[in-house]
Amino acid sequence: MKEKLLVLFLLILLSASVNAQQKTITGKITEKGGLPLPGVSVTVPGTRIATQTNEDGVYSITVPNNTTLLAFRFLGYVSKTLTITSGTINVTLEEDTSTLSDVVVTGYGTVKKSDLVGSVVSIRGNQIANRPVQSFDQALGGKAAGVQISIPNGVLNNPPVFRIRGTNSISLSSYPLIIVDGVASFTGDVSGSNAAGNALSSINPQDIETIDILKDAAATAIYGSRAANGVVVITTKRGRTGKATVTYDGWTGIANVQRLPDMMDAYQYTDMKNEGLRNAGTFNAATNAYALTNGPDGNPINTNWYDYAYRQGVSYSSSLSVSGGSESTNYYMSLNYTNQQGIIVKNDYKRLGVLFNIDHKISKTLSVGAKLQYANEDNLAVISSGSLDGQAFSTAGLGRVALVNSPNVSPYSNAGGYNLSGNNLGIMNNKVSQVGFYNPVVQIDLDRSYNYLNRVQSNAFVQYRPIPMVTLRSVYGIDYLYSTNDTFANPVNGDGFAALGSAGMSYSQNKRSVWTTTAQADKTFNNDHTFSLLLGTEQQTTVNTSFGAGRSGLSDLAFNDFTAGYTQFSNTGGFGENYLVSFFGRLNYDYKKKYIVNGTLRQDEYSAFGPDKKAGTFYSFGLGYELAQEDFWKNGKIGKVFSSFKLRGSYGEVGNFAGLGNLAPNSYYSPGLFGGAPTLNFSQAGNSEIGWETSKKLDVGVNFGILKDRITFELAYYKNDIDGLIYNVPQAPSAGLPNSPQTNIGSMYNKGYEFTANAQAITTKNFSWSSSFNFTYNKNVIESLTPTITQFTSTTSGLETANISRVGTSLGMIYVVTTAGVDPATGRRIYVSGSTGRKMLYDHASPVASRWKYEDGSIAPGITSQDQQIYGNSQPKFYGGFNNNFKYKNIDLSLTITYQAGFYIYNGTQASIMDQRFWNNSVDILNRWTTPGQITSVPRVVAGDNMSNGSAVPLDINVYKGDFIKLRDISIGYTVPGSFLTKMKIASARVFVSGQNLLILTKYNGTDPEVSSNGGSNGSQGVERNSVASARVFTAGLNFKF
Amino acid sequence: MKRKIIYTLALLALIATSCRKESKLNPESVNAVSFEFSFSTPDRVKAQVLGMYSGLKAGDFYGGRYIVYNEVRADNYINLTTNAVTAYQVWNFTTSNNAQEVTGLWGAAYSVINRCNLFIDGMAAGGAATVGPALAANYVAEAKLVRAISYYSLLQLYARPYWDGNGSKPGVPLRLKGNSVAGNYDLARNTVGEVYAQIIKDLNEAETALPLNYTTAYDNTIRGHRNTAIAFKTRVYLSMQRYADVITEANKIVSAAAPFTATSGVANALQANVANVFKTPYTTTESIMSSPMNATTDVVGGQTALGSYFFSVREFKLNDAGIIADAGWKATDTRRTLIGTATISGVPSKLMGKFATPSPYIDYVPIIRYAEVLLSLGEAITRSTNTVDARAISLLNAVRQRSDATTTFTAVDFPTSADLATAFLKERNIELLGEGLRSPDLLRLGLDLPAKGTVSSVPSTDRRYIFPISQTELLYNKLMTDN
Repeated sequence: MKEKLLVLFLLILLSASVNAQQKTITGKITEKGGLPLPGVSVTVPGTRIATQTNEDGVYSITVPNNTTLLAFRFLGYVSKTLTITSGTINVTLEEDTSTLSDVVVTGYGTVKKSDLVGSVVSIRGNQIANRPVQSFDQALGGKAAGVQISIPNGVLNNPPVFRIRGTNSISLSSYPLIIVDGVASFTGDVSGSNAAGNALSSINPQDIETIDILKDAAATAIYGSRAANGVVVITTKRGRTGKATVTYDGWTGIANVQRLPDMMDAYQYTDMKNEGLRNAGTFNAATNAYALTNGPDGNPINTNWYDYAYRQGVSYSSSLSVSGGSESTNYYMSLNYTNQQGIIVKNDYKRLGVLFNIDHKISKTLSVGAKLQYANEDNLAVISSGSLDGQAFSTAGLGRVALVNSPNVSPYSNAGGYNLSGNNLGIMNNKVSQVGFYNPVVQIDLDRSYNYLNRVQSNAFVQYRPIPMVTLRSVYGIDYLYSTNDTFANPVNGDGFAALGSAGMSYSQNKRSVWTTTAQADKTFNNDHTFSLLLGTEQQTTVNTSFGAGRSGLSDLAFNDFTAGYTQFSNTGGFGENYLVSFFGRLNYDYKKKYIVNGTLRQDEYSAFGPDKKAGTFYSFGLGYELAQEDFWKNGKIGKVFSSFKLRGSYGEVGNFAGLGNLAPNSYYSPGLFGGAPTLNFSQAGNSEIGWETSKKLDVGVNFGILKDRITFELAYYKNDIDGLIYNVPQAPSAGLPNSPQTNIGSMYNKGYEFTANAQAITTKNFSWSSSFNFTYNKNVIESLTPTITQFTSTTSGLETANISRVGTSLGMIYVVTTAGVDPATGRRIYVSGSTGRKMLYDHASPVASRWKYEDGSIAPGITSQDQQIYGNSQPKFYGGFNNNFKYKNIDLSLTITYQAGFYIYNGTQASIMDQRFWNNSVDILNRWTTPGQITSVPRVVAGDNMSNGSAVPLDINVYKGDFIKLRDISIGYTVPGSFLTKMKIASARVFVSGQNLLILTKYNGTDPEVSSNGGSNGSQGVERNSVASARVFTAGLNFKF
Repeated sequence: MKRKIIYTLALLALIATSCRKESKLNPESVNAVSFEFSFSTPDRVKAQVLGMYSGLKAGDFYGGRYIVYNEVRADNYINLTTNAVTAYQVWNFTTSNNAQEVTGLWGAAYSVINRCNLFIDGMAAGGAATVGPALAANYVAEAKLVRAISYYSLLQLYARPYWDGNGSKPGVPLRLKGNSVAGNYDLARNTVGEVYAQIIKDLNEAETALPLNYTTAYDNTIRGHRNTAIAFKTRVYLSMQRYADVITEANKIVSAAAPFTATSGVANALQANVANVFKTPYTTTESIMSSPMNATTDVVGGQTALGSYFFSVREFKLNDAGIIADAGWKATDTRRTLIGTATISGVPSKLMGKFATPSPYIDYVPIIRYAEVLLSLGEAITRSTNTVDARAISLLNAVRQRSDATTTFTAVDFPTSADLATAFLKERNIELLGEGLRSPDLLRLGLDLPAKGTVSSVPSTDRRYIFPISQTELLYNKLMTDN
């Protein structure tokens, strides 16, 4: 083969030398699907001869007869250089999906990846498009080294836990800074209802061109005081010169709940609970017993509460875009609508969104552009799912109610109507005071908890190039987020019972404006020295105004609207404002593309810092060395192995203030009321010394490629040293301060390794396989808190403490009481005292004073929270993903596998479903101890016992390893052959089916090892407590291009 | 070229106008008063005074839960909901150090104490000048009264009773200076005796400086006046078993013979019908001090309000074997009308109905009322003299006959003074049911916390006889010790 090429080459050379005249080459350039590509630059390498394709993708270029090569380049596609073999050269350009040879967005500009010193992962929009997600971040799991995404549970639009290179804060947010088309986006759950509302869901994933994840100092320092958690830069699609392209993407899917625990049925429940009463010595068939009740059909009622809480959710999504442009004007317009049903009843998500991006060249030197994006989103729920941060013990929480309500009663009474007993589920034939919390069916029928988001994310820019090397640019952008909540709790049963019905309306207006002006100068001297200098200024103002009203005590129970008649009224209001003003600069220099130097400096001044701490200076310094450009390398043996080999390193300092109170430095007295008269109370102990948290980031890496970069590798070591961690230094409660003042006091580090391998493993005419594997090891260690405090605990929803963070450990270690099995002689749980190590046995059936005994039978003081011990880390030590794309003729297959390992989860839900109050239990309870000598892990059941299985104090029996491998996403597509489409005037068409969460390999026994009942909180990760389970989704979809 | 210059200048102008805005960098609150200006006007000072009372009225304290805990620790209630966040664990004595009940009340009490301390400090540092010396003296006396009530209430739950070691057991840390910034607040527990001494000192100083009365019955009920300080002292001394002092103090506000009334200051007296005390407007002269509830502005919520616990949401029903079973408490006794009935899970049940208004829970929470003072005085006379004293019997009758005219106690009913003391205790149990005094009454005498329902009795030697110390206090106050 090689020889043949050589011969051909010689022949061409020969012919060129004979006819030193001109020739014209023509051709058509298309993309994979056959669509013409306009605006492709066609050049003769090494000369100034160049042209572009026209609207039909056709070019014509006249070249000297001795020209042998033509280069074809187009942004977003893999460039090709082809040998001229005839007068017509038609080219198909492949979309560039590899991550090494593209340009990447680095903040206020772009850089070729080859010139990059910083650690940046660039993810193309098509890698996350067409997924059944509400927001793009849910689809990022496993896509990039150093990026950890965990979906906390099956509540729709629940923001994932999103970490870049570890958890980088204790009290502030560890969520990355998200920049959308130059404007820092609001993040987190912005719903004020029981439905989650991820602020990032306003962006239609189909509209995303690229997601660039900036990880180290060199890449992030340009964002200064906000960059410690890493930066994610979202660029939406813009138009390209050429005929209008119409794209339609649609999918429909079904979602089902998975991995729910097996609960006892009515018969098992009734027997087990009576056994508990007998063991407690309080069973009395007439006055204190559980009993079956026959339903209207004459058979005993046997209710599966899952049937009422969960459903099969049906979803669909449509996205239509038109893009194109002329020489001077490019546009991209899109319209999207999605309507998704969650696995929880009446948990819906809807979005109607439009995006319009326009760029216009007024003259050769002056251009303007604008973006207009509007999204209207509905986040709907009926009641608390018990699954969002702070809800784990919500009485109404559907996740728990579906587990623990008694199966031997029905939601409906036999006479029709709801089965109620006061504000609880009715007891029917049971002779106990309570067999359930609220009757969820009443609330599902009558309540609502709706959130509506209106979002405008827009900007406009003017760009001017007074001389070719200088670009001046000024951008004004806004992110306006209006959140409205409409809630109603019925007077029949549930949260609105005592108040005789309650309705709430609230409104929160979040307005951010960002004005950025930059000057960029690029110049190459003597072909070897390339300088690129960026200078800029930016100011950002964020204002939040909110108010809300509550009404309760319906005057007429027939109504459920906020505007109906009520007897009681309440209202709230809030205001907050902050301001960030910055000056920044960045200088890149490279010598012959071999040696690359990068320096960044940014000064931020932020309104919420103390008077002397407002200004902060952040910097980074980076070096890169492309060995493969060295002659010794190119010419040596090593150059034959490694087609590229770049060493890079950077060091710098960035900050974090996300989550800091707007008025944190000041102390205040706040007004209140006492019997209607005004009061004034000490409300905030401020800290005038408060400043940003600093993160000193070190990054050392090597990027190399083999087989002409068909396989590339990236290895990195990083260390983030975080100092001045803001910590709400807990004061002795007896000091009586209204709050724990925030102080820059702690220090912590995250260090780790990242490994990424990308391979175009097989590329033949009919079959191709590309693969990307990434692996991250992260170690998080708290180095210090305060001189006197060396640990702090974090609660789940304010009630259960199962996490502790201690100096020398990672954040949020699982913290539980050690147990030692069940005593075969008595069936009592054996506990180990945290202080003395002595074993104690608990018997709930004994009088209170003698429930706790040592093994010798003497009275023991009992186990309390004081006996809790560190069990293990809740942050995964290892995580990553494995992405594969196969293509055989017209069939494509992609699959994403994600994994996390080396961590523990506290399954508090298991404590709930083994609790010996009236609560229904998991079928595991059938293994309870019944006879002396029996070896079992489940103690004797005693009615009322909430200690033996971990409800009262968290126990180690409910801690499991969280390691998992998950088939996150699999998609099979079929591209309809061109011949058929041409007749239909369709440029390309693809149909696909996909599945999400199809397979989880894990030893974790809860719903999902990614679970987080505490949302994205820093200190209380790895806890599952009464959350709803996760979803498994199947979708089918269509992609068209016209 | 010209155009280039214009464009460049235009962009430079843009940059120039985008310069930093100094005022935006130094924001001021639009709704809160800066610390340094909190005593700058008479209105702010007065608002701070009411703020101390509002702290007392916190949900975890005298808004409801302090009363609830002291009620359900004793034997008059059966828990219905097994809800760990609504005092179930207080009821069955399983509260751990980090139980919400334990940490919440501790924090609420010290929050009030710090408000009082900050106020006393701030008045000395300039606040007194803002309002003038006369009003300043009144206000500071109110602060001392509120501080004394808070410390006393802490002792009832977190410290061994005074009789145990004669006040030598660990009490709570005594903090008398306002805290406003982060700092090292390690402080060991003072002894029970030391804390009581401070309480008495505060109450004595309050007694001298408090106004005799206010202009409205409402203010006479919700703010401390001289009789409030005196009345509270009777409770404090009774807890210390300093009966002679109870008598001295009580005699300041109880006339020598029936009808017993306060003869100076607010004319505190029993109402003809006890039910009127618990009805709107809640401001009779019998209510020496109560936490007010205003339906439109500041009521406490469910899981806090007494009405929610005992009547509306029914966390607890009355124990059929408790005081309501007492045969001497006649069916015709007016106080029986304050007991509600309901069928709960098919069982006819009794509910404590003194606070029967459903949500919004507008029933005032009594902190101290005149009937208690009379009973304390009578009991103190009995216990200090060890005789069946006529005035004591008269005091007992005053309370009994107000609600049950058919019963008249006479000396023959009490063979020994101990019988009379027991009668006083029972009368308190009946009269003050639902008002948070039962558990302190048992504790001050070293009596067992009796068994109820499935819960066994807790003897006075048991660790569970009092609360454990707040877990967070133990963690962040290095000198703190647990019970």
